[in-house]
Amino acid sequence: MVKLQSDWVKRRATGLFIDPFLVEVKIKVMPKDSLASALLASWHPIVAGEQLTEGRLSRALDYWNALIPLSQRMSELDAARQEQEKTLSVSELIKLKFLSDKVFQQEISNLLSELKEKSEGGPIDYWQFITVDTYEATVMRSYALSFLISNGYANLIVNPIEETIKVEALPVQEQKSSGGRSVPIAVSYSKWKEMRGS
Amino acid sequence: MSEDAAISKKVKKAAQLLLYQHHRLPGSKGWEIKKILGKDYMKVIKLLERKFDDLGLEIKIVYSDGIERISPTEEDLEQARFYVLSKVPMQSSEVSLSGWRIDTLAVLAAALALITSKQGKATRREAEELLQEKLPDWKVDQDLNRFIRKGYLDEDEAGLLFIGWRTRAEIDLKKLMGIIAGSLPEEKAES
Repeated sequence: MVKLQSDWVKRRATGLFIDPFLVEVKIKVMPKDSLASALLASWHPIVAGEQLTEGRLSRALDYWNALIPLSQRMSELDAARQEQEKTLSVSELIKLKFLSDKVFQQEISNLLSELKEKSEGGPIDYWQFITVDTYEATVMRSYALSFLISNGYANLIVNPIEETIKVEALPVQEQKSSGGRSVPIAVSYSKWKEMRGS
Repeated sequence: MSEDAAISKKVKKAAQLLLYQHHRLPGSKGWEIKKILGKDYMKVIKLLERKFDDLGLEIKIVYSDGIERISPTEEDLEQARFYVLSKVPMQSSEVSLSGWRIDTLAVLAAALALITSKQGKATRREAEELLQEKLPDWKVDQDLNRFIRKGYLDEDEAGLLFIGWRTRAEIDLKKLMGIIAGSLPEEKAES
């Protein structure tokens, strides 16, 4: 408060205090030429020059001599550039021999059986279901589960208010032939560690 | 080296410090000048000012809070920035030298008057509304951005406009407000 009062007094004392309403009216009625003339009459431009010193020129020359050709720098930059993230489909993973078609089908089938068993009494927590001993296996389970959900064998229940995600196996009569919905869930290493309680 | 020669050397050094831009901003801070010229640097500045006077130039000291002082303290001077300015204001015939059109200068004059009348800050919205009464919105937007870039205006994240560092150095706001409010005639202002 004291500072505000002090600023107010200083402002009035510097002679810059003029009623804002009066200023607005004046600006509205003044022609553009008069406004520009008022500015010119109050304008004392800064005089400043730029200079190049011998020392600076010498440093610039050293820099130029040490500079690697652009083509070489570009190839280094390309090598350092990280591959962009992309999504791989099951068929691509199988093609890359990351997954075997037969093994994957077996994994899916086992996971569905496990889900049916665990969600017999109602939907269960998504994170508790997918989390296992290793991070790699947890990611594989989440991937297989997403396959079950998107193919309509399981249902995902997201509650944004309580921030919970639950999952349940769907009975055959409720399974959707056209496939379920798609919800992105990041299975990060930190989340896995949190679930494992370490 | 005689005393006269030593002083002459310091005056030349002071001229270099003030005239050649060695930072992002032109001019030099008081403490920079003191570091190079010694604790009597203000005496050297006064001598340089006399030499500049013959060339129609003057040294302007802008204090860190933008408020002028009659008897500045040592600390005020060290924190202040020293600029070299043209002593005589620009004439209408020299407008082309600034590289700006008359309506661009009018936008700056109106924006500065509005901000000054509102105790140094006004919302960008109210400045735009006032300026758009006479100029198209694209021109107002373009000019305000240009003045912010050049340092005549300053804008914060909340969209408040302030007086910029360059205005504090170059524009005699008291005179500008006097002319716009009608207490100073334009003819007198032009002379």
